[in-house]
Amino acid sequence: MLSALRTAGAFTTRRFAGTQAIAGSSEAPKGIATTGTPFLNPSSKAEYALARLDDVMNLAQRGSIWPLTFGLACCAVEMMHFAAPRYDMDRYGVVFRASPRQADLIFVAGTVTNKMAPALRRIYDQMPEAKWVISMGSCANGGGYYHYAYSVLRGADRVIPVDIYVPGCPPTAEALLYGVLQLQKKIKRKREAQLWYRR
Amino acid sequence: MQRIVRGVATKAQQQRQLSAAANAPKKVEVFIDGKKILVDPGMTILQACALVGVDIPRFCYHDRLSIAGNCRMCLVEVEKSVKPVASCAMPVMNGMKVKTNSDFVRKAREGVMEFMLNNHPLDCPICDQGGECDLQDQAVAFGSDRGRLQSRLDGKRAVEDKDIGPLVKTVMTRCIQCTRCVRFANEVAAFPDFGTTGRGQDLQIGTYVEKFFASEMSGNIIDICPVGALTSKQYAFVARPWETRKTESVDVLDATGSNIVLTHRTGELLRVIPKINDDINEEWIGDQSRFAVDGLKVQRLLTPMIRGADGQLKPASWEEALFTVAAKLRETSAEQKAAVVGGLNDVESLVALKDLFNRFNSENVMTEEEFPETSGGSDIRANYIFNDGIANVENADAILLVGTNPRFEAPTLNARIRKSFLYSDVQIGVIGSESELNYDYDYLGASAKAIDDVLSGKGEFAKTFANAKQPLIIVGAQALKGEAGAAILGKLQQLADKLSAGKNVQVLNVLQRWAGQTGALDVGYKAGTAALRKTPVKFLYLLGADEGKVNKSNLDPQAFIVYQGHHGDAGAQIADVIFPGAAYTEKDGTYVNTEGRSQRGYPAVSPPGEARVDWKIIRAVSEVAGKSLPYNDLKEIRQRLNEIAPHLARYRDIEPSPFIKQALQLAQTSGSIDVDVSPALRELADYYQTNVISRNSRSMAQAKKAALENKENPYAEAPIHARL
Amino acid sequence: MSLKAWLGIDKLQKFQQIVKEIGGVRAVLRKRYLMDVTRVGTLVGNDKYGNRYYENNEYFVPRNRWVEFPDKVWLDYDASQVPPEWHSWLHHITDSPPTVQEPLTQKFSLDHKENTSIYADKKYIPYSTTRTKVQAWTPGQKPNFD
Repeated sequence: MLSALRTAGAFTTRRFAGTQAIAGSSEAPKGIATTGTPFLNPSSKAEYALARLDDVMNLAQRGSIWPLTFGLACCAVEMMHFAAPRYDMDRYGVVFRASPRQADLIFVAGTVTNKMAPALRRIYDQMPEAKWVISMGSCANGGGYYHYAYSVLRGADRVIPVDIYVPGCPPTAEALLYGVLQLQKKIKRKREAQLWYRR
Repeated sequence: MQRIVRGVATKAQQQRQLSAAANAPKKVEVFIDGKKILVDPGMTILQACALVGVDIPRFCYHDRLSIAGNCRMCLVEVEKSVKPVASCAMPVMNGMKVKTNSDFVRKAREGVMEFMLNNHPLDCPICDQGGECDLQDQAVAFGSDRGRLQSRLDGKRAVEDKDIGPLVKTVMTRCIQCTRCVRFANEVAAFPDFGTTGRGQDLQIGTYVEKFFASEMSGNIIDICPVGALTSKQYAFVARPWETRKTESVDVLDATGSNIVLTHRTGELLRVIPKINDDINEEWIGDQSRFAVDGLKVQRLLTPMIRGADGQLKPASWEEALFTVAAKLRETSAEQKAAVVGGLNDVESLVALKDLFNRFNSENVMTEEEFPETSGGSDIRANYIFNDGIANVENADAILLVGTNPRFEAPTLNARIRKSFLYSDVQIGVIGSESELNYDYDYLGASAKAIDDVLSGKGEFAKTFANAKQPLIIVGAQALKGEAGAAILGKLQQLADKLSAGKNVQVLNVLQRWAGQTGALDVGYKAGTAALRKTPVKFLYLLGADEGKVNKSNLDPQAFIVYQGHHGDAGAQIADVIFPGAAYTEKDGTYVNTEGRSQRGYPAVSPPGEARVDWKIIRAVSEVAGKSLPYNDLKEIRQRLNEIAPHLARYRDIEPSPFIKQALQLAQTSGSIDVDVSPALRELADYYQTNVISRNSRSMAQAKKAALENKENPYAEAPIHARL
Repeated sequence: MSLKAWLGIDKLQKFQQIVKEIGGVRAVLRKRYLMDVTRVGTLVGNDKYGNRYYENNEYFVPRNRWVEFPDKVWLDYDASQVPPEWHSWLHHITDSPPTVQEPLTQKFSLDHKENTSIYADKKYIPYSTTRTKVQAWTPGQKPNFD
């Protein structure tokens, strides 16, 4: 029966010697580390429990980061490309939300001018806690091309705290994707429950 | 040197002349813009207008220089005259009616301004004087809105830049030939090589052959020049005046206590310019005071340091340093403690240090500079201050300089002596070195024996001196060293006593070299480090003592030395613990000048790095050592100052100094002393680096190099040292 | 269309083939856990970090080349762990992998390092290289007027 399922000429695989040895080698982590958690050395049972709680919280948060649309200038187009099919961000759980009250990430995409700065700050303040900021493009990172202009804020980090800086002018959609992935890694290492306990 | 009797005599001399006359002259009636005013007959229209409150624009007129009348900006309409009249040069006459704002005057001013701008380059964006330029301000206020110059047809004249040294930058195209700098150089700075060459359009101002502006007052031509022709090289392209803040302070690099304005921006000191104080420095300051501030940015002590077991100084925290010092302070006994202070300290830190030592039963606080203990020593104030006041130098008709070179020790005082020399027939005699002062003098010899000659009336000068109505003796603090110094002081007091009978001058004046010396002696410090060598000292506190008067061989071999100061120089090298203190621009301090006048200097910037204000460090040491000093903020320590000596809190006044008779009774009178009293500073190259701040200053090093080369060969072809 | 294709049985057969290639259901689950996909391809090459590069042109163009990270990185894989010579092949910048055509290297090139900017202990923090406004004194230092 099974041989009947084997279709002729499906595809061939070539395997080099030694690949088997690398796969499934003893370098793979054991125990709790197989989940990929960064909290491997708790000093007490309570800390262990809270570390696992942290793991769950972080998993939930990074699996579904909802950004706010804050496209200011040309970087906004690359942000749209990130949402488009080729670099699809929906598969990472990243869906755009129009309201800051429902967002937990803000992409500062484009040049922040002096006029826009208080609005940006206000929007950031309106986001509920557990929020992150990705500064996209050289204008948002540090003024960029317009650094020496009189009407430009020299970097979004002058008004809001930034977690990830994505360099580029504009950053390719792939770079922005990499930035979101880095943010996910950063969220994975967050220790809210354990720090609450420690305090 | 030819005596130039010019224009208007100084106010003081005017008054002297007037009071000398039996009856005061009749005042003259002048009508300025309809307002009547009565003025003395020698006045010019411009000065009379100033009394009424009318400011007439001018470029070449300067109230401390002779009148030139070549800019013609001060033109006013005088009723009976067809032509406009240069108000800076025309003396008032009875019944004169002057109009300063009529159409005629306005047209005249616009015309003059147009002429002046015709040949002036369009340098405003790159000119340092922009924002504080007289030409800009007067063009806006008094000029017309358009010019008639067709620059594509006529063009403007251009002049080559002249190299006059590493301190003053010249862009002679901008010069409007007002000749203020020429008159300053000739009259005040005594550098006659600076003048005009050519005439008319081709008039150029400079030294003709390129020469170093070899004068210790060269920086003042920067202030005097109304346009950006002469600017400061140190301050070139640094800042615009509207973005800077100005803080008034007092200069400590010499003992006259000249008033200065510190220009700073965002916590960085940019330059120092003089502030007018008719009693001390008029409108000038010496080059060291002006340019040495770039030494405040290098070689600074920024962290406390402790010498480790390996003998190397390492940065430490304030806590560690304070505790180490406090422990040592408690361990050593009173006789084994000593403090030596340098010359740049403010009175607050001196008082705090003395109080700290007194709390530990020690009176062993002394200054680096020496002063004799006879004649009442530093107990009688009249012994060590400039009794007659710097302003009174103008009224003197005979001056005897003993062991001092006021040209390099106190340039602004020297400028006053020169002013007196130019405008009156003062006779000056010098006992010391035969160096180039800015006036003619009778050289009486290098040895103190000459004082005996003056005392006994031997010699031409001695006779003049004895017959003078207001004689003055200026003795340098450096000459009063040791036994010989005590003897010299005694002799001079005898001479002064003889001469001051029946006159209202005290005759004897001591010119200190250090700004902190008078304050220290006022507060009760002993003068001179001789006491150190008597008993072995185990704990030494150096407060800015960098002249190398103390070294380890004078002390106990296990001595513990604490150095508190702002630069790493001789004192910091030998220290075991270093406390970083603040320099004079960084602290709110009281400074007593050589006249005994107490002045307050405000801080412009904050002490850099971990440095702190000096008296606060000493207060912290006292707290950690267990005997807290009773003051916690500036007001309280000033109250303490007031307790010790009320004049320290009474700013800007001179107190009269009595007890001279008593000083004479305690004087040491002896036989003839034959000791050389030549001052240490003889030539211009010696002037530039005399204290710790100017030793670390690049501008001063460049100037010194230029002065040395100028001495060798004034006509060298290489540029006069822009870089070392 | 054959009956098998119409019933979808050829898809199941293909899946069984893949399971066999990978080496059992356990291995398939493991691979799914690490890579989020179950696919096999021809091994094009390795690099010195242990990354394995596969190609399978049955998948459409952007998804036909991929990297499998070694076990020691486990779930901490990162796109920056791919060295530059393989990166250009992986992202379809070039056609031939470095095993076929040697990439140009310069003798001054540094070793490839992954992006460590999110690890607080390993990240680069920029510092000023200019002179400070006020220069400190170090013991023994004389004023330098250069």
